[in-house]
Amino acid sequence: MRSRWATRKRQFRTLYRIFLLRVVDLNLMSADADPAKLVTQFATMFATISLFIALPAMIGLMGGGRTTGTNGWTAEHFLIETSMTIVGLVAVLNWDAALPDRQDVLILAPLPVRNSTLLLAKIAALLAAPGLALVALNMFSGVLWPVGFRAGDGGILWLLRAWFAYWSTIVLAGSFMVFAILAVQGVIANLLPRQYFLRVSAFVQAALLCLLLSVYFLAPSLESPAALTAPENQRMLACLPSYWFFGLFQQLNGSMHPALAASAAHARIGFFVASGGATVSLLLAYFRMMPKIVEQSEIVPRRNAREWSLPLGNSLQTAMTLFTLRTLLRSRQHRMVMSFYLGIGLTIVVGYIDFLSGSGQPKSTGISAAFLLASMLLMILTLLAMRVVASIPVALRANWILRVTQVRPANHYRIALRFSFLVLGVIPVMLTIAFLLLIERYPWRPATGHLFILFTLGTLIVEICLYSFSKIPFTCSYLPGKARIHFVFWAVLMVFIRLLYEGALLEQTILQHLLSCGLGLVLLVCSILGMRRLNTLLSGSELRFEEEYPADLVSLNIRLTSPTG
Amino acid sequence: MAIPDLRVPLMGHCILLLCYVVFYIKVVTAGEHMLELLNVSKRYSGIPAVDNVSFRARPGEITGYLGANGSGKSNTMKMAAGLIEPDTGEVFFHGEPIHADLMTYRRQMGYVPEEPHLYAHLSGLEYLAMASQLRDLDRKSANQTIHGLLRLLGLHDDRDLSISSYSKGMRQKILLIAALMHNPGLVLLDEPFSGLDVGSALILRSLIQTLAARGKVVLFSSHELETVERVCSHVIILHKGRVVADDSIEHLRTLMSLPTLEDIFSQLAVEQDADAISTEIADLIHA
Repeated sequence: MRSRWATRKRQFRTLYRIFLLRVVDLNLMSADADPAKLVTQFATMFATISLFIALPAMIGLMGGGRTTGTNGWTAEHFLIETSMTIVGLVAVLNWDAALPDRQDVLILAPLPVRNSTLLLAKIAALLAAPGLALVALNMFSGVLWPVGFRAGDGGILWLLRAWFAYWSTIVLAGSFMVFAILAVQGVIANLLPRQYFLRVSAFVQAALLCLLLSVYFLAPSLESPAALTAPENQRMLACLPSYWFFGLFQQLNGSMHPALAASAAHARIGFFVASGGATVSLLLAYFRMMPKIVEQSEIVPRRNAREWSLPLGNSLQTAMTLFTLRTLLRSRQHRMVMSFYLGIGLTIVVGYIDFLSGSGQPKSTGISAAFLLASMLLMILTLLAMRVVASIPVALRANWILRVTQVRPANHYRIALRFSFLVLGVIPVMLTIAFLLLIERYPWRPATGHLFILFTLGTLIVEICLYSFSKIPFTCSYLPGKARIHFVFWAVLMVFIRLLYEGALLEQTILQHLLSCGLGLVLLVCSILGMRRLNTLLSGSELRFEEEYPADLVSLNIRLTSPTG
Repeated sequence: MAIPDLRVPLMGHCILLLCYVVFYIKVVTAGEHMLELLNVSKRYSGIPAVDNVSFRARPGEITGYLGANGSGKSNTMKMAAGLIEPDTGEVFFHGEPIHADLMTYRRQMGYVPEEPHLYAHLSGLEYLAMASQLRDLDRKSANQTIHGLLRLLGLHDDRDLSISSYSKGMRQKILLIAALMHNPGLVLLDEPFSGLDVGSALILRSLIQTLAARGKVVLFSSHELETVERVCSHVIILHKGRVVADDSIEHLRTLMSLPTLEDIFSQLAVEQDADAISTEIADLIHA
């Protein structure tokens, strides 16, 4: 007979593995998909970021010097703040994994598993994803940067101390973020009935995402002795946790400026409050919710009082547009991903425009370059976010209805898809920009010209988004490692933002001349027609519902048989 | 010489000719409208799921498709619905291979799948409206049909609720409406009684008979042998992917000298001795 401890250990390991895989929704994946590959893909992405962050440190070390003064402080704070934000984002995206759901309870409750084992396995799996992100993100930067941060005479002991200080701070800062988010979740779960908690969760998640991103991109830079000691900044310092852990790092590293002593104390207090708050509130929520999960249903569905059956184009266009709209509005997962991408994009737009308005750009009599850039970015980001979200399936097993009702050729579906992107992506952005142009009271001629240019740009982006997309949105299975749209998204955002600014300046010039404006429009229309022709040539005759790896390897379907048979 | 009166035999010949033409049209048209599977096979990783299956389902007839779990029923239904392509063999409707013009075939086919997988974030009405739009049905008449069917099946009051809150029986009714709203000539029903309450099951049973009486081809797969015995005129029994019986129930009874369809099915498609296995199970868990 196995001892009780050994049984619990074995149960813990089994449950941990199950919960760890639950972080990825396996129901959305293609039959060929390997969840481990998805985890590796994310770890590689973070490790690549780490490598890029470590490059300046490597260059500095080759120069033989240490990174001191304001530059050193900026680097220290940047590393801590970035780690905290990334871990926070992972924890927010992992929100649903924190508390057991109905499926967990219905499957596990009849089994002889203690609640405490279940809870421990859940917590261990919950901490694994942010932990992996934290380690991957600091894989290179966490080795190279502390070499430059070493204090004292710079000897080997100071180097070891710098590494210890860096990793301790990073782990504590990351844990603080995870615990703080769990504490928020625990408190809401305790305050609200379960069904309301589930309903409110999506909004809290979106709010937390926006908060994390806004703080990361928009918080002022205070990494200088003058800024740290300025009385007007003390309130800000006390409110920004990244500065608390910046102070803690300096204290542990032995390089602390006296102005950071209070911040270091805040870090210690903050960590204990967050971890204590998370533990108590989650335990309470856990034991309070467990019995109710079986008794109560999940989110009580709302009656969709308004019947949206207004015709939008032909019947296929109506079906596709309404299906896309309803999925975006009602699926929590899709709404989350959409707000994640739009949130990051909009924050960068706001930050960039803030930077431009502060950099003394020449004022013009027409529409400002910052406004033109913002409107173009808004259009591009909205459409790219839609494209990213459209490739995440909503209910793969329900796809059969789309197959048995396909009474029109695949190219009709592509036309309907283009229509739905125009209606749900381009037109709302156009209306927003038109409203803003009206409020800002820009002259009507350049404003109208800009709206025309924006519409053609939007149509061109839609064509680019539809490149090799022979699917109905939200219906094709997901295959980790195949779709690189996420990387394309970031590449577009980071690489072309400067290019787009040049484009905005050019547009500002051509908007003042009717002929050049017309020429610009003709060029854009030609690009649209070219892209559309390319899409028509490359598109297949079948709609795709199952994502497959490219046929680099051909399976011979040879099955190994046992010696007996 | 008096000319014989030819009117009577001529009229007789004309009536005979007319009867022959009517009979010919009926037989030929019936043949054209039937669903036929010819030597259809499907393998997964080399393992046969459906093995050389051939049968015909005729208009006006209810063809029962029976088999144990894993015998290949649902795979055959999916091939008949055009959802999966057979590795070998062909499915014909109206005498034409369905894959030659799948879209025309889909317009004439209604399909109720084995599991009620639906888009749970839509309401019942939204789901049905989407299905009608995808089928390119006339908006007004489709709307009338959907509301009428929802009312008749007792779902009208819940039409605006999200499908996630529907019971299995309610989902099954939505599937039925989606399969019938376009008045299909061929109805494929894979376990349609699953989850239905007694009242709804009685309505469905009667509906299947009415559909067949109105000349539709009905292929109906089920585990409920009693219902199949009552409803179907013709049964096909599948065992390990192969057809082991294809005849009318009456003829099978006479041929096998067995009183019920359950006995026929047990003899043809059930290999295990139920009593021996249940004893073994009890022994195993007791050990």
